Amino acid sequence: MRSFLQNLPVRALLPAAAAFLFSSCDLLEFSPNDHRAPESERDLTEKNLTRLLQNPLPAGDTLRFVFTGDSQRFYDDAEDLVKSVNQQPGIQFMLVAGDISDFGFAREMRWVNDDLRKLKVPYLTVVGNHDLVGNGRKAYEAIFGPRNYSFVYGDTKFIFTDTNGREYNFDRTAPDMTWVNQELADRTARRHVIISHVPPQDEDFDPALRDEYAGALREDPRLLFELNGHRHAFGISQPFEDGVTYINSSSFESRQYVILTVWGDKEFRLKQVTF
Amino acid sequence: MGVVAPASIPRVDPGNRRPWYLPSHVVLQTGGGLGMVAGGAGFTLKDRLELDVLVGYVPEKYAGSALSLASAKLLYSPWTLPIKDKWSVKPLTVGGYISYTHGTINDEKPNQYPKGYYWFSTDTRIGPVLGSRLSYALPPTASGYARNLSAYYELSTNDLYAISYVQNRKSLSPADILVLSLGLKLDI
Repeated sequence: MRSFLQNLPVRALLPAAAAFLFSSCDLLEFSPNDHRAPESERDLTEKNLTRLLQNPLPAGDTLRFVFTGDSQRFYDDAEDLVKSVNQQPGIQFMLVAGDISDFGFAREMRWVNDDLRKLKVPYLTVVGNHDLVGNGRKAYEAIFGPRNYSFVYGDTKFIFTDTNGREYNFDRTAPDMTWVNQELADRTARRHVIISHVPPQDEDFDPALRDEYAGALREDPRLLFELNGHRHAFGISQPFEDGVTYINSSSFESRQYVILTVWGDKEFRLKQVTF
Repeated sequence: MGVVAPASIPRVDPGNRRPWYLPSHVVLQTGGGLGMVAGGAGFTLKDRLELDVLVGYVPEKYAGSALSLASAKLLYSPWTLPIKDKWSVKPLTVGGYISYTHGTINDEKPNQYPKGYYWFSTDTRIGPVLGSRLSYALPPTASGYARNLSAYYELSTNDLYAISYVQNRKSLSPADILVLSLGLKLDI
C-alpha cells in the first residue's frame, strides 16, 4: 500500500506546512511580554561575543569600533545605519548604548536584531531604561543576555553596566556598585572602557549612587572613557571636571554615529559619521 | 387513532434569542496576546455582534512573571454561510479588543516617573482583530436555542506594534506585527 507521504504533492507541501506551523507558533503570542524566541534569536550577547573572539585582536594592535545608541522605534534608520557601517573599513564591532527597544518587548528587540544581524561585524548592547519597561528586564535577558557583563578584547576590557536607576525606583541596586568596583579593580587589561545607558549626571541615574559611581571611575587609572546613550545626541565632555571623559552616543534617528579608534595607553581618535 | 404527538425533542426557533445581558456562549482560546490560555463568556448583543469577555494567564516561564490578563473583544460577523449538513462558516469576523495585564515586573510605582515620562501604557493594550469561524450544529439546548461548537482563528495586532509598523514601513512588514489566536466557542 502506498504511503500517504510518498504522494509527491503531499511531500512538496510538507516543508511549506512545517514553515507555516513554525511561524504560527511564533505568531501565537501569549502576551506582548511573551519573550519566547527561536534559539537563533536568543542569547545574542553570547553569540556576538563568540563571533568577535573568533577574530582576536593581537596585543598592541589598534582598536576600532562604531559607537551608537537608542535604536528604539527607528527600524528604517537601523537599515540605513547597517548599510553605512558595513562600508567602514577596519572596524571590529559596534556598541549600542541601550534602549534597543521602545516598549520593553522581545519582539522589538528581535526586529532590531533583524537589521543589526546584517552588519559585517558583531554588535554588543547594554540595557537601557526603555528595555526595562514592563517585563523588559526578562525580555532583554532572554534575547540579549546579562544586564552586567564584561569582556576583554585585545588590550581593552569593556564593562557593560545597568545604570537605569529610575526603572528600579532608585532602590540603590543600579548600578550594582559591588560588581562595578570588582570589574574596575581587575588589572589584567591595559585599559578599561565602561558602557552604560543613563549617564551619571542625568536625573534618571540613582542620585544616591552618583558620587560613588563617578568616584569609582575617577579612581581607575586604566579607564579610557565612559560611554552613554539616553540623550539622543552626540556629546563629549568631562561633566565632573575630574579628568574622566564621557561620550554620549547619537540615536539611530539622528542618523549619526561615531567611530572610535584607540591605541597606546589612552590615546583615541573620534570620527563622526552622518548617514 | 388520530394525530401523532410531536416528538418531545427541543426544536430550534431561529428568532429565539436570549436577552443580550445573559451569556450566550463560552470561549476558550490561546494566543492573541491575551494569554497562553484564556477563557470566558460571550454575549450576543445583536444578531451579528458579540462581546467576549476573557480572563487569561501566562506562566512566568514565558513572560518573565506570571501574568493575568483581562480582556474584552467586540466582534462583528456579517455572514454565516451553510456548508453542508450541520456545518457552517463565518468567513469574516472583524472587531477590536482591549486588554489589561496584571502582574508585570516594572509596574509604575507612585512618583517613580515624572508625569508623561513614558507616553504609552505598559499594561493596557488595544488592537484590531480579523478572523474566521467554522461551526458545527449540536442539538439545540433544552430551551430551544441553537447550539454550535465553533473553532476560530483571529489575526490581531496591538497599538504599539501598529505604531512601530506605521512609522517603519520600509523595514517592517505587516506580517511582522501579526499575532494569532486559536480558539473554541460553545453556545450555551
